[in-house]
Amino acid sequence: MAKRTLPRLLQAPAVLLLLLWMLIPLSMTLYFSFIRYVLNSLRKPEWTTPSLSNWRGLGNYEYVLFNAKDFWFAVQNSVFIVTSILLLTVALGLAIALLVNRSFPGRGIVRVLIISPFFVMPAVNAVLWINMILDPVLGLNGLAVEGLNGLVAGLREFPLLGGFFSLWPEIEPISFRATQTSAYAVIMMVTWQWTPFAVLIFMTSLQSEDQQQKEAAILDGANAWSQFRNLTLPHLARPIAIVLMIQAIFHLSLYAEIEIVSRGNGNKNLPYLIGDFATNNIGAASATGIFAVILANIVAIFLIRMVGKSLMD
Amino acid sequence: MAVVAQSSRFSKLFWPVLAWTVALVFFFPIFWLIFTSFKTDADAVKPDHLIFFKPTLENYINMTENYDYWRFAINSVITSTFATVLALVVGVPAAYAMAFNPTRHTKDVLLWMLSTKMLPAAAVLYPMTFLTKNFLDIYDTHFLVILVLCLINLPIVIWMLFTYFKEIPKEIIEAGKMDGVSTWGEIKDILIPLAWGGVASTALLCFIFCWNEAYWTVRLTTTEASTLSKLIEGNRAPEGLFFGRLSAVSTAAVAPIIVLGWFCQKQLVQGLTFGAVK
Repeated sequence: MAKRTLPRLLQAPAVLLLLLWMLIPLSMTLYFSFIRYVLNSLRKPEWTTPSLSNWRGLGNYEYVLFNAKDFWFAVQNSVFIVTSILLLTVALGLAIALLVNRSFPGRGIVRVLIISPFFVMPAVNAVLWINMILDPVLGLNGLAVEGLNGLVAGLREFPLLGGFFSLWPEIEPISFRATQTSAYAVIMMVTWQWTPFAVLIFMTSLQSEDQQQKEAAILDGANAWSQFRNLTLPHLARPIAIVLMIQAIFHLSLYAEIEIVSRGNGNKNLPYLIGDFATNNIGAASATGIFAVILANIVAIFLIRMVGKSLMD
Repeated sequence: MAVVAQSSRFSKLFWPVLAWTVALVFFFPIFWLIFTSFKTDADAVKPDHLIFFKPTLENYINMTENYDYWRFAINSVITSTFATVLALVVGVPAAYAMAFNPTRHTKDVLLWMLSTKMLPAAAVLYPMTFLTKNFLDIYDTHFLVILVLCLINLPIVIWMLFTYFKEIPKEIIEAGKMDGVSTWGEIKDILIPLAWGGVASTALLCFIFCWNEAYWTVRLTTTEASTLSKLIEGNRAPEGLFFGRLSAVSTAAVAPIIVLGWFCQKQLVQGLTFGAVK
């Protein structure tokens, strides 16, 4: 009897806390998503307190799906940003992990330098990139373009070559504060932060690769590409799946970077759109929240299927 | 041997140089942040002083005056520390029970815990604000931030501890039971000393995640319990007037964590992949 009760008791606080943390706010969101609920309304003051008498059924969902202009854009943008980050980090991570996996002088320092971005807090990451690096006037982006234009202008003065360089146009630095480009900025800064994570995991996994098998393959005359394709890549399948899963979890709720880079310029993802709605229309914010949960669950089910089993053995 | 024979002089030089280049490129933004923090605000935006300038410590000296840095830093330290302690207090017994008395539900419970991590925070933003502001009256308190930070990291903490505890031979714990050691004694005198490295790195990683958290700490605080994330987020300086001082305060916010992070690189892999990659 005691043999079974005690382990349960020990797990109880953790399970209960997480259960409350998940159930209470989520059921409130669900409830709010079915009623008319706004924070300020002169016309309909009764809508400012949540109550069953303001029942709206699926009205909020309808509104979000068909009338709110940003919803579909936000979904697309979320998916675009997450997918781009996943592809870039895995590709870069693989390349860098293979590169650092050989032994060379200063390898330890190289590892430390590469892993560092992962520990930078997201708020600092965003402020640093959007201001000091990507700003079209004051950032390195602007300065580099200005320098390039200056160089070209200088070359125009030369007698013979000048004619050639005078054909070159002045380059305009890209501003990363427009809707589309600020999505690129977010992708860039998050990729910078999370590639180290992929590198770290792939590197750890590469160290457990069967070296004898590899040497045998070399003796058989396999070239580098076919070694990678037939030995290394299958060996890395599970780490790649894990990197994809963990990143998907983190990036679907990406917020600080979007908030700092995109305030007011339309580069929204789902969490940001929910924040937008939540300034007044709680009903719509909640319905959008439920959509975000559904989206996250689709991804999660898919990913847990892929990885979950192998986690336990 | 075959590998050595094949590698030419060119590739002996080329690959290390490429690796170093990649490393420097990745580290460059952090270097640039630290570098800029020693410039005055005026110098920081002058192309003439891009590389050569007169270094100054004034941004660091004026950090308190400009940003009230220490108040936010102390809040970060308090909330991250207590959240980590709380997560361990709740997580160690749970992971202990799961690792040494697994039932057929243990696997499901663990996966369910992980799934709470996938719940998008934004979806429950308003209920959380509503509950904590109107109902529990704990909005913008250290208590709330500690609780939330603990809850969002609890699944990862339990997973990490579980994978470490699983490595410990069951017989050692059983032997303790035979000798009539209490459960608390088992955890305190046998488990924790044996899994000390694992517990420490779990704590370190949890602390790092708490420190860097930027959704709830920004959304559930106004002034009292605000952490460094909120400070930086609130001073994004779009006009570039304050690059110098902003860099200094940002450096002060991230440097301790980067150094901590260097120490737990290896554990990070095991922790974040739930022991699936070793």
